[in-house]
Amino acid sequence: MRNPLARLTDEDRARLRQHLRVPVLSFLALLGLLAVNVTLGATLPFAQVWALELAVVAVMVAVILLFSMEIRHEPPLVRLFAGLGFFWVAILVGMTLTDYLGR
Amino acid sequence: MSREAEPPMAPGVGVARVEHFATVEQQRHAAVLGIWAWLVTELLLFSALFLVALVLRLQHPEAVKAAALHLKFWIGAVNTVVLICSSLTMSMAIAFSRMGWQRAMVRAMLATAALGSLFLVLKGYEYYADYEEHMMPFLALRPYALAETPASRLFVNLYYVATSLHGLHLFTGISILLGMTWMAAKPGFLARHQNWIEVYGLYWHFIDLIWILAFPILYVVNR
Repeated sequence: MRNPLARLTDEDRARLRQHLRVPVLSFLALLGLLAVNVTLGATLPFAQVWALELAVVAVMVAVILLFSMEIRHEPPLVRLFAGLGFFWVAILVGMTLTDYLGR
Repeated sequence: MSREAEPPMAPGVGVARVEHFATVEQQRHAAVLGIWAWLVTELLLFSALFLVALVLRLQHPEAVKAAALHLKFWIGAVNTVVLICSSLTMSMAIAFSRMGWQRAMVRAMLATAALGSLFLVLKGYEYYADYEEHMMPFLALRPYALAETPASRLFVNLYYVATSLHGLHLFTGISILLGMTWMAAKPGFLARHQNWIEVYGLYWHFIDLIWILAFPILYVVNR
């Protein structure tokens, strides 16, 4: 079977690298962060490990938003919409947990 | 004004302007803003479910822990890898669409649909294993394995609501993706509708993002 990559010109390869660099790096970052969380979940190295696990998740979400969903390249109005969504979530979670944690 | 930092579109790739937009750029921005407006509502829907999971953990820590230990941690982890891989293939489809490589784009879209289907198969197996372990408290005729800890029912039921809702979104996403792939394989698609791939990609990455949240909140932090 012929390798389709062998038919690419040097210019094609350069374009491919240019277009796929960020997606591949994001993919590797997400896999690495997932490996950290799975290791923490499987070994439970200390009592408050959940805080570290949630911090790792926050970084994963940021990677998806900024690099996979390319929000950093969007116009200000789209960034405002996305930011407001997470701001509303912060209000929802913050006010609810303030109640439960403050009892 | 947007997308200056991204690799440029190839010649012959673009969007056919419809009459109610002044420019193609305005049309592109409106489409992206529209999908984000919807994704924000979806984010709030799933966030409320995840918040209930955290509240249950605070209210009934022992019951939630007992229930979470029955979840298939390693299937959940493998499924997370599968969805991260599908995000890569979706990003590749978007990149190929910008480059004008239609055949490669179609293959990347099919790979994305295949990975999404693999996720659903693994999820179905997980549900079957749960059934075998009597971990379906909503089945009236089947004894519940943790009947001595009634509060665990709340967490287990929430687990099914959250994961089945995510699965429904994924199933819908796969169906739309296959339909779009069929259209995207036709000649001239990338000259008229390239932004469909970009807008759809946002939805797919969002499904991935929701699972990235669901896996630790349901499976990991409760262990």
